[in-house]
Amino acid sequence: MLVPSPYCTIGPFFPGQFVEGCEDLTRFDGRTARGQHILLAGRVVEEGNLPTLNVVLEIWQPDANGVFRHPLDPRSRDADPGFFGWGRARTDADGRYRFRTVIPGSYRTGDGTLRCPHVNVMVLAIGLTRRLVTTLFFGDAPDDVRDPVLGCVSDRAARRRLFAVRDSALDSEGLTAYRFDIVLRGENETPFFLD
Amino acid sequence: MTEVEYPPYEESAQLARYIQKYPRSFTRNPTQPFIRRPLTLSELTGPVGLESRLEIGDGDLSRRAPDGPRAIGQFISVSGRVVDQDGAPLAGAVIEIWQANSAGKYIHEMDRHEAPVDPNFTGQGRLVTDAEGRYSFLSIKPGAYPVMESDWWWRPPHIHFSIFGPSWMNRFVTQIFFPGEPLNETDLLLNAVQDPEARDRLIFGTTATRVGKVNMLGFRRDFVLRGKHRTPALD
Repeated sequence: MLVPSPYCTIGPFFPGQFVEGCEDLTRFDGRTARGQHILLAGRVVEEGNLPTLNVVLEIWQPDANGVFRHPLDPRSRDADPGFFGWGRARTDADGRYRFRTVIPGSYRTGDGTLRCPHVNVMVLAIGLTRRLVTTLFFGDAPDDVRDPVLGCVSDRAARRRLFAVRDSALDSEGLTAYRFDIVLRGENETPFFLD
Repeated sequence: MTEVEYPPYEESAQLARYIQKYPRSFTRNPTQPFIRRPLTLSELTGPVGLESRLEIGDGDLSRRAPDGPRAIGQFISVSGRVVDQDGAPLAGAVIEIWQANSAGKYIHEMDRHEAPVDPNFTGQGRLVTDAEGRYSFLSIKPGAYPVMESDWWWRPPHIHFSIFGPSWMNRFVTQIFFPGEPLNETDLLLNAVQDPEARDRLIFGTTATRVGKVNMLGFRRDFVLRGKHRTPALD
């Protein structure tokens, strides 16, 4: 059995052209994604609540019906032709990032367990020799959401930090905005999963 | 068919998370322990077929246009394979590459090093692995450069790789160094790998030199992405 190659930090000089256009998940292959288009925006901060400039975020999510564009998904033939599911953004000097995407649908795993609407998030940055991975959820009543991944976060306050919250102050371009702030380290730290 | 497994990365074969004299590692790594979670379809799937969304280049970073003048520097060829932990090729994996020019300068607004920009070098490219998991590209050897936030640290020549495996679990990013570079001995990142064998996997191998019509030095690096039991067992 081969040992995986070592990860290394993305460093400060990830090309801007590799990010341009990747913030928008709502258009693919000349089509428009089905479902509710939203802005998914927030700030990434480090210790001391300081903004992080130049942090790269990538997201992966199912379409509005909970289908992944991937051969492992038994429903992949029904995947929205206007939605790819992957995006990338970079934080500005205030630590702010913004994606344009759709609210993902829920789906049932092979054993019937419900995966509630969620988006996989990974963080790449100077100072991080490996990516950090977390998952963001939607819902107005975080304590009532039952999801096998969310359920692994035993601390209630930490669990709530995994929810994107409706924030009308961030609405723009006629789109409803959800805010998801990421605290890499310090008070109110975002829970991250073992990778 | 056996289900794919993605065991957590082994710490000894990876870079340390905290590195003395690398201050951001102490302000950005979480203090709370990482939480174990089950892997469901959401984590096991990932962006495959990215070439339909991202522009793929011609594999020649050594010039801006196919008939344009070459960038200044040592002309090199880089190749290798991308495989999983069973050694099975990962075909169709998108690879992103970025690097400094021969003077150690990136085309990036964050680069404050006073070294010249080469008008014939963009320092970035995108490739896709073939059916055998192979990739190759032409470029020029990157130069060393100072880390402007420190008062001593010079990065040895290296090339950045970002690879999209077939799953969110094997999305992979790294830097590969050149053999025999004196600055390799003091680099904080390269030396953050404890296991010497693992550290060697961050360094290019060389291919036999050849002299012909077009001449370049050859470097090789294979990548093992996490994931095993992807293929059915033979027995």
